[in-house]
Amino acid sequence: MKILYSWLKDFIDLDDTPEELAQKLTSLGIEVASIEKKGADFEGVNVAQITHIEDHPNSDHLHLVDLDLGGGKTQRVVCGAPNVAVGQKVPLARVGARLGKTVLGPAKIRGVVSEGMICSSDELGLTSTRARGILVLDENIPLGTDVRTLYGKSDALFDLEITSNRPDLMSHLGVARELSALLNKPVKWPSPKEYAGEGESLKVDIRAPQGCQRYTGRIIRGVKNAPSPELIQERLSAMGLNPKNALVDVTNYVMFELGQPLHAFDRNEIDGDTIVVRWAEKGEKFTLLDGRELTLDENTLMIGDDKKATALAGVMGGLNSGIKDDTTDIFIESAYFDAPTTNKTSKTYAVSSDSSQRFERGTDIGMTELALKRATELFVAACGGTPSKIRDVYPQPYENPVVRFTPAQINGILGADIPEDKLKDIFSRLALKFDASGSEWTFQAPTHRRDLNHRWDLAEEAARFAGFDCIPVGESRAFVQFNDNPKGVDLLELFSEKLAGLGFYECKNIDFLGEKELKDFGFDPKNAVKIKNAMAKGWDYMRPTLLPALLKNIAFNQSRGNRDLALFEATRTFTLIKGFPAETYTVSGTLCGRLTHRPFFKANGEKPDFYFLKGVMQNLLEGFEGVSFAPSASAPVYMHPKMCMDVLVNGKKAGVFGAVHPLALKSCDVKENEVWAFELALKPLEKGFSAQQFKPAAAVTAFPPSLRDLSVMLDKTVPYAAVADVLKNTPLPVGLHFDLIDLYEGDRLPQGKKSVTFTLAFSAPDRTLKDAETDAAFNALLENLKAKTGAELR
Amino acid sequence: MTLQEFKELCAQIEREYTGKIASASALEAVEELRVAALGRKGALTELLKNLKDFSIEDKKAAGPLGNALKAALTRVLEEKTTALAAQELNEQLNRVDLDLTLPARPVPCGKRHPLSIAQKRMTDILSKLGFTWAEGPWVEDEKHNFDMLNIPKHHPARDAQDTFFAQTGSPLSMVLRTHTSNVQSRFMEKHQPPLRIMAPGRVFRNDSLDATHSPVFHQIEGLYVDKNVSMADLKRDLSAFMKGLLGDKTEIRFRPSFFPFTEPSAEVDVKCVFCAGKGCHICKGSGWIEMLGSGVVHPNVLKNCGIDPEKYSGYAFGMGVERLAMMMMNINDIRAFYENDLRLLNQF
Repeated sequence: MKILYSWLKDFIDLDDTPEELAQKLTSLGIEVASIEKKGADFEGVNVAQITHIEDHPNSDHLHLVDLDLGGGKTQRVVCGAPNVAVGQKVPLARVGARLGKTVLGPAKIRGVVSEGMICSSDELGLTSTRARGILVLDENIPLGTDVRTLYGKSDALFDLEITSNRPDLMSHLGVARELSALLNKPVKWPSPKEYAGEGESLKVDIRAPQGCQRYTGRIIRGVKNAPSPELIQERLSAMGLNPKNALVDVTNYVMFELGQPLHAFDRNEIDGDTIVVRWAEKGEKFTLLDGRELTLDENTLMIGDDKKATALAGVMGGLNSGIKDDTTDIFIESAYFDAPTTNKTSKTYAVSSDSSQRFERGTDIGMTELALKRATELFVAACGGTPSKIRDVYPQPYENPVVRFTPAQINGILGADIPEDKLKDIFSRLALKFDASGSEWTFQAPTHRRDLNHRWDLAEEAARFAGFDCIPVGESRAFVQFNDNPKGVDLLELFSEKLAGLGFYECKNIDFLGEKELKDFGFDPKNAVKIKNAMAKGWDYMRPTLLPALLKNIAFNQSRGNRDLALFEATRTFTLIKGFPAETYTVSGTLCGRLTHRPFFKANGEKPDFYFLKGVMQNLLEGFEGVSFAPSASAPVYMHPKMCMDVLVNGKKAGVFGAVHPLALKSCDVKENEVWAFELALKPLEKGFSAQQFKPAAAVTAFPPSLRDLSVMLDKTVPYAAVADVLKNTPLPVGLHFDLIDLYEGDRLPQGKKSVTFTLAFSAPDRTLKDAETDAAFNALLENLKAKTGAELR
Repeated sequence: MTLQEFKELCAQIEREYTGKIASASALEAVEELRVAALGRKGALTELLKNLKDFSIEDKKAAGPLGNALKAALTRVLEEKTTALAAQELNEQLNRVDLDLTLPARPVPCGKRHPLSIAQKRMTDILSKLGFTWAEGPWVEDEKHNFDMLNIPKHHPARDAQDTFFAQTGSPLSMVLRTHTSNVQSRFMEKHQPPLRIMAPGRVFRNDSLDATHSPVFHQIEGLYVDKNVSMADLKRDLSAFMKGLLGDKTEIRFRPSFFPFTEPSAEVDVKCVFCAGKGCHICKGSGWIEMLGSGVVHPNVLKNCGIDPEKYSGYAFGMGVERLAMMMMNINDIRAFYENDLRLLNQF
């Protein structure tokens, strides 16, 4: 909301600088987004009178103009304005004068030197739109007067951020009223000229009382449209509106002044003599002032006559009844339209106006008549005409609820100690009715403050006007209660910290995916959460997997020259389960390039491989019960069919890891063809996990192990896991730890064979093993291997 | 040989070998001297051979002299050996010639995202102040995201949120939560006071994507409901929170504002930490930086959640994580958080 300082002063006496005023507004919770200084931003411009005009010798539209500067001084200048005339008093800027940032020099115009110029209002920076001619000043102003003094009071335009609970501040009067309560100065209420009224106004038939609680109107007959007075033009320009003509400008002017939106109809386009306020019929067609054609629903409030609709109530008028240049009779509407109804209409048809923005927040139902009178006064002054009587239909006068409270309750909400007298003073300034005679006080807000409904609202008012600094820093109070974090949160944090420790960088990505990516990654869009009003194509779904984004992070980093990448993201993924949205804590990672990126250390510049990733997974899942890995029987489409393992938790699939499928890489524009990835859902791990859990340690033997190497040859087709399972599961009277130290397939072995070599470490908790014991255990393992895997000792 | 001659010889041997040992410069030389002095054919052994001709009394006098001489030489030999060994080790160590200024061998170590770091700072502090972590859905129904929070349908406050609507099979109208405040309604409908929670997480707004706006961003919410909780309690706790976050000297101020779910509502500013309140480009000359929104929980919100506002009261606050991170980490484009350029991630 823009507030012009000089306009504000129409309604309250203020002598603050704009900056001081901004501070006061801020202290009241009215945020000042900006202050734009306005006014006489020029020097050396004086009032002069035109004494003689002759045609420019080399131009058919320029003139040579002689001016009397007063004190016997004269000046001749070149002037092209169409409205220049002898006898006019005009602002003359002579060489050396400053207009904004420009300092005037002598100008040669079509061969004639001009030592100055007669200024228009926009050249003086008084209006922002181009003026049609020079600014003609009042004939009573003495010659030589510094024009600055005419506009001298420098002005300021405040851009205020009005919160949606305070529509009453969306006008100059409203802001003045607020300041009046703060400064304890009276509001200078407008007292527009009263017209007795000739003839009747239109009748008003409110058939939709829920949508319209008050409707005030009158006709002005015999108007003649004209440009608005200069003051109105200037002020509307300052508000960011292009002044058009008085019939259009006055309604806007009064709205900015008093906060009441008005609408002017061409009376002669209204059939009959009744205004009908009604709900639209479903499917009814209506054409807006701006030419848009709407098909209405039955929740839309319409203004109309006996035959047709003429306006989308409170939002915008119709093309069929607008003011035209030759309109002679106007009907002015000053009404109260229901806020939610207006909001619904504005949203349904995507039409917003200064008017709808006020109605949907809630205007002052008590303001309609005063606003109508003010508009009448301005219309008649600018366009003449004869006002009719006012017709005011207000079946159920509105009253705000009475709030009952004690001063202790107010201070209790604030934790403050505002004295009772101070509270009384504040509330009496704000109230329509206020009674503090008993121990319980009563307060009733005036009609423009529908937001004051209970004591919490009044506590805020008390703090605002006493100054928010009245709220002290409260005394310490203890809150002792232990509640653990949600498990998913702890798991996300645990995995994130582990991954960072393992060399992965955490990424954060926007949660949206396109349909193509969904399909490329094997997800059925029917099972994904779709965003109805997506911002952009490709951002239509909430992602069910984190991998596409992480792969795009790789592509992006590669494009910026970062090639060695270990990335992860830990957040939620989204799917629909039986139509209902389900959110899963998920951790995913991607890996490509080299593990380290210092070519100097050649030995460490190796590329990660499947087993590195497997090590990462093992590290991550270390300590979780029931976790195992198994080659994927059918890998997801985005994974390599042969290099992919499932992560199983108690036999149920919780994730995968392995190489990314080349087509998935292509889908995400990754240039690299070897990228490793994992994705893990954390929900299955929650059971049996607790951040508070202490893990009991296993005993560590003080006796050194007995070591033996075991080398066996077996069929290539026997997987390592089968051999390891035998080592793990053969019952032995001693402890066993084994390490794979060699795997050989080649010429030195018969075809179809491989050899596997382990170091076996046998131990007992209470003694060093004797050779015989070790040998017996070794042989038991060997026999079992022979039996179960067909291995032979090498 | 007389006893006197024996004594003199002892002294002479001691002088001679002590001197030689002292001037030895290598372990080999010391060993040779040990053999020459104390070996089977060494000077001391030869000298002691004379004892056999001594009288018993002389033997009693000469014996200890010989032992003393042996002990003295042994001690000198050991000292010299230790000194030379140390010297040799020292020389050996000093022969190492490594260019220590070569680059470090890279030990793989990743990093947390700057937003995670910022969020963790906040949750750590709030946790110390007794707030429990609570979570809520990101795909949320309108009831919990709006209605229960006193943001009625067909009110501009609801429009101001630029809501994303989700298409699901649920009979409820679903949105992507527009703020972390949905955790307030979720938590309070299940728990009676006293309660003290924090709710960090992602929120969604159908806004533009530019240097200062992202359709996805992070907030952290705080909520405290108990008997007699007031604005003064809010000021105390936020003051502690901001001191924890920005330093001991941090000052805060309240400014009146409007949020549908709090009444009274306050915008909280901190005294600019970059210019100590003098005014700079970061605080745009005002000396204060807008940090968060807060207020006393609106009685309608308590009522909607089944908590009696005549019995309990509470406060709530909500703060943007990106905003803080951008300011404190000198990141001037919000999109940088979601690009994940390794060269940025690497810095934190």
